[in-house]
Amino acid sequence: MAEEFPFEISPMFEGERIRKNDMYVELSGPKSIGYELVRAKPMDEVEDGKFTLIGPDLSEMEEGSRYPLAMIYKIAGELVEEDLESIVERRNHDFQNYLQGLMHLNQRYDVWVRVSKDAIDKGLTSFEPVAKAIMMLFKNELPFIEKVEAIYVTDQAEIKKEMDNVKQIYRDRDDRTRNLHDEDVDTFYGCSLCQSFAPSNVCVITPDRISLCGAINWFDGRAAAKVDPEGPQFPIPKGDVIDEESGEYTGVNDIAKSLSNGEYDRIKLHSFFESPHTSCGCFEVVGFYIPEVDGIGWVDRDFTGTAPNGLPFSTMAGQTGGGKQVVGFLGVGINYFRSPKFIQSDGGWSRVVWMPKHLKDRVMDDIPDDVADKIATEDDAADLDSLKEFLDKKEHPIVERWEDEEEELEAEETSTQTTPAAAPTMMQMPVTATGAMPMMPISGNSGGVKVILKNAKITIDKVIVSKKNE
Amino acid sequence: MTKVIAVTGKGGTGKTAITALLIRHLARCNKEILAIDADPDTNLPETLGCELEKTVGDMKQFMLTERDNLPPDINKESIFESKIYEIINEMPDYDLLVMGRPEGSGCYCYVNNLLRGIMDRFVTNYDVVILDTEAGLEHFSRKIIRDVDDLLVVTDGSRRGLRTAERIRELTEELETNIRNIYVIANKVTDTNREKIANLARELDLKLIGTVPVDRMIEERDLAGDPLFDLPEDSIAVQEVERIAKELGL
Repeated sequence: MAEEFPFEISPMFEGERIRKNDMYVELSGPKSIGYELVRAKPMDEVEDGKFTLIGPDLSEMEEGSRYPLAMIYKIAGELVEEDLESIVERRNHDFQNYLQGLMHLNQRYDVWVRVSKDAIDKGLTSFEPVAKAIMMLFKNELPFIEKVEAIYVTDQAEIKKEMDNVKQIYRDRDDRTRNLHDEDVDTFYGCSLCQSFAPSNVCVITPDRISLCGAINWFDGRAAAKVDPEGPQFPIPKGDVIDEESGEYTGVNDIAKSLSNGEYDRIKLHSFFESPHTSCGCFEVVGFYIPEVDGIGWVDRDFTGTAPNGLPFSTMAGQTGGGKQVVGFLGVGINYFRSPKFIQSDGGWSRVVWMPKHLKDRVMDDIPDDVADKIATEDDAADLDSLKEFLDKKEHPIVERWEDEEEELEAEETSTQTTPAAAPTMMQMPVTATGAMPMMPISGNSGGVKVILKNAKITIDKVIVSKKNE
Repeated sequence: MTKVIAVTGKGGTGKTAITALLIRHLARCNKEILAIDADPDTNLPETLGCELEKTVGDMKQFMLTERDNLPPDINKESIFESKIYEIINEMPDYDLLVMGRPEGSGCYCYVNNLLRGIMDRFVTNYDVVILDTEAGLEHFSRKIIRDVDDLLVVTDGSRRGLRTAERIRELTEELETNIRNIYVIANKVTDTNREKIANLARELDLKLIGTVPVDRMIEERDLAGDPLFDLPEDSIAVQEVERIAKELGL
C-alpha cells in the first residue's frame, strides 16, 4: 500500500487522549448522535474502496464544533458472513485509534470521536483519507474481507432517519448472541480475581453460566483472555463431555484440580447437589436446600429479611463462601437464572420454591410459565409451615415429589424394616446456623455421615465391623 | 514520562488547598495536568473553582447495575473507558477526575480490575497527575493508582498531624503501591511554631520539604467559599508552594 495519508498509522497511538483544548472537532459522543455499523453483503453489492460522505466534510466544520457521525462499512468476501459483523465492527475502534490525531471511544450508537487540531494542522481536511486508511487496515488485518466500501454520514437528519433500523440490527444480533450455549463452544473461561480471599475457588464461566459475581460473562472472559492470557481471566479448554446434563467436562475437572490445589477434582456446572460449583463470597445470590419441602430457595444480598429457613443472606453467605464446594448451598450470579441450563441436573426451575419478590420480578421473564406463580416470595411465605401450605395450594411440581417419597417410604416400611424411618426427605440439613459445615450423603434414605479426610495417613491393625444391638 | 504526585494528610490540615496551589503552579508552567480528587469528601472541585459533575463511583455503580442490560458480547472495558472520559471535567488548564462515593454492596473486583487497566493507559496522557487523597489511601490499596513518584503528607503544627504523617508512612510500607519519595509539608505555620515543627519532624525522621505560612488571603477565601486557583502571586502561601514545587522538580 503506497497510499499517502496525511497522518501516521500505528498501534502506538492507541490510548491517545485528545483533550478539549487540543480538539478541532468532536463527532457523535455523549452530546450528539451517531453509530458505527458493519454489514456483510454479497460480492456484487460492494464497490471495493469506494467512499461516500453524506453531510459536511471536515473542511466545512468550524474549530471547536460538534457534529453527528455515522460510519457504515459494507464488507464482502467468500468467507464473510453475518456472524462476523460485530467482530469486524469492533476493529473500527482499534483502527481509528491507530490514526494519529484521532480518538475513538465506545461502540455501536455510543461511538465518540475527536479529531485533534494537530491533525488538521498537518493537512487533514477530509474524512476520505480516514475512511481509506480504515478500509486498508480492514483488508490487511482481516484477510477474509475481499471488498470493503465505506459510507460516513455527518448529516443529523440522515442519521436520525436510520437510527431505528440500526438499533433493530443490533437487537437481532444480540438475540443471536444469547443463543450461544455451552455445547457451541470448545473453550470456557476461568477467573481468579476472587482467589485472594477464596484460595480454592474455581470460577468457571461458560455461555450458559455467568461468573458468580455476575460481572463476567463468557464474552467478557474471551475478550480479556485474548488481551492478556496470563491475566485474571484465562481460557479453559472444555475437553471431553462427561455428562452433558449436569455439565461435567474433563477440562473443567482438570482446572478445578489445579486451581483449588487439589482440593476439588470434580465440578458439575449445572448441578446443585452433586459436586457443585465452588462458592467464592462475591456471589450475588445464594441457593439453599430446604429439606422439609425438598426444594431450593434463593436469596440475594439486597434482601435484608430472613428466608423461610430462618436465616438471612449474610449468614448463609458466610457459611457458603470461601471457595468451597458446599453441598446444600450454592452461590450464583443473577444472570444464571436466565440460563436454559439453570441447575438442570436437579430439576431446574421445578425445584425452586422460594425467592425474594424483587429478585423474582427481576428474572420473571425467564421463569417457565408453568411454575412462575407457584414460587413463593416473602409475601407468600415467611416460614416453613406457610411455605409448605403455599406450595401445596399452588400445586407446585415439588408436591409430586413429596407424594412419590411418601409412597416409597410406605413401600419400604411394609416390606422390610431395615431402614430407619427417616423424614421423607432426601437428606437431613441442619437449618440452624451452627457454623459447622454439613457434608451430606447425596443419595439413599439411610442418613449417616460422609467423612472426608485430607492429607491423612491412616494405619490400622484390625477393623471390626458389627451390627449394634439396640 | 508522567509524574504522579499524591497529597494526603489528616482532615483539616489544608491538603486540598496545597493541592490546588500545586495545580495552580503547574498550570502556569503549561503542563498537561490531570487532577484527581480521591477524597470521598470531594473538596477539590470547589477549591479549584469548577463544577462537580459525575464521579468514577457513579460510573462504577452504572457498570454494576447496567451490566445485564448491556449487549452480551459488548466490550465492557471500552464502555467503561468511555464513561470515565465522559465524566472528566475538562477545564482550560487541567482535567479533573473525581473518584467520589465509596463502593456499595456487591462485588467490585471485576469493575476495579477494568478500572486499573483504563487508568494505567489514561494517566500516560499527562505530564503530571496530582491526587488529593484521604489519609486511609484507599485508592492505593485497591491499586487503582499503582505508581506514585512523590507522596506529600500535609500536616498542621500539631503533634497529632505529624503522628498521622508517621502512620501514613507506615501504611505505605504495607501497600503494594510503589511510592518513591515521601515528604512532609507543614501548613498554616507561624513564626512561633516553625522551629518546633522542624524539630519534631526530625525527631520522627520525616523529610520536611516546606513550611507554608498562615495566609490571610486563604483564610478570607475559605470563609467566603471562594476558589484558591486564582490567588495572586503575592500570596505568601503561593510563594512557598512554588518553592516546594521547584524542589520537587515540577
